Amino acid sequence: MKTFSNKYIFVYVSVLVLVVAVLLTAVSLGLKPRQEANRKAEKAAQILRAAGYHDVDGSEAVALFEQVAQRASGDGERETYHIRCADGENGLVVYVNGKGLWGAIWGYVVLAEDLNTVKGIVFSHKSETPGLGANITEEKFSSAFVGKKLYDEKGNFVSVRVLKAGQGSDVPDVHRVDAISGATLTSKGVDAMLMESLPEVIAKLKTVNKK
Amino acid sequence: MKYLGPLAKDNPVLVQVLGVCSALAVTAQLKPAVVMALSVTVVCALSNLIISLMRSTIPPRIRIIVQLLVVSTLVIVVDQFLQAYLYEVSKMLSVFVGLIITNCIIMGRLEAFALSHGPLPSLIDGVMNGLGYGLVLVVVGTFRELFGTGTLWNFPVLPHSFYEAGYMNNGLMILPPMALILVGSLIWILNSAKKSVK
Repeated sequence: MKTFSNKYIFVYVSVLVLVVAVLLTAVSLGLKPRQEANRKAEKAAQILRAAGYHDVDGSEAVALFEQVAQRASGDGERETYHIRCADGENGLVVYVNGKGLWGAIWGYVVLAEDLNTVKGIVFSHKSETPGLGANITEEKFSSAFVGKKLYDEKGNFVSVRVLKAGQGSDVPDVHRVDAISGATLTSKGVDAMLMESLPEVIAKLKTVNKK
Repeated sequence: MKYLGPLAKDNPVLVQVLGVCSALAVTAQLKPAVVMALSVTVVCALSNLIISLMRSTIPPRIRIIVQLLVVSTLVIVVDQFLQAYLYEVSKMLSVFVGLIITNCIIMGRLEAFALSHGPLPSLIDGVMNGLGYGLVLVVVGTFRELFGTGTLWNFPVLPHSFYEAGYMNNGLMILPPMALILVGSLIWILNSAKKSVK
């Protein structure tokens, strides 16, 4: 077997790493616009789904989104939007995020103008278990949130709790939805996400509105 | 003819039992299974070709590092292309594209074949091993999607009358354990076929 000097090995590796770095940078920069367009379309489609527009995808979603939604405040993912929902009423879109069982979970909540009633909601996740926790993305779960209230009659924040039947029996129907059986920890994650994220965003929205 | 081994009698998944992790994870539906199969084939073929071309210059002491560098570069490029052109599928495959880097089939072919063979045989060897892996993914993916969700490539193929007659999709099919059972069954079939040849 041929032997190689240490110097050769160092030079060899350095050159190789340099070539790879240049190549990867080129690929990444070249494909970035397309990847970002994909992400934008996905976000638009998700928000539209929460607002009651179904089966819109890709560039169609981006176009419709620009038509019905208007940026209200915030930046990046934390942006909030004014949106005209599919039922003709106006709503506000807020972004929430938290932790599921295996990784991040997030969602967009469409609130009615009273900032109390949930008009629609959509969830996404990074790596929840398929068939169990991953079911938070399904219509069957998210549609249960429609019409639920965030504040009780005295104006205290209760959130929409995600609870198993029999759990927290003092929480009235208007503030709770059923957890997914077999996905206790993901359900708890959704519960905590809404509990923690919403008061903060709503408080911000209220100060913006007052101005 | 000698290159056809990986499709059946030297199949990387069924005989060498390599790359099983991703075979279990991405086969709940046919589409991600096919994309994963193509991705692995591309990475396996190109890494075999590149390592074969470089083989006389690679210092043996750092050959694994060099192989990993080549494989991970290719995988990142594939991943970037999927994110740009097949976004939905790339989300379904999630971490498993990145994990092609550690797919034992690829490192195995580099060590066992590309380091000691010329570029053309290495390229063919890479393609055939990728296809051998892909074949298993497609077979398992077809079974799981058909019986798990009643669709193929997301198109419903089971007629409504089936469901009206009381047929139900098998929820177990879309969970990973069923993939293990199916791969096990394939290994069983292949092994008994081999014995009958002897």
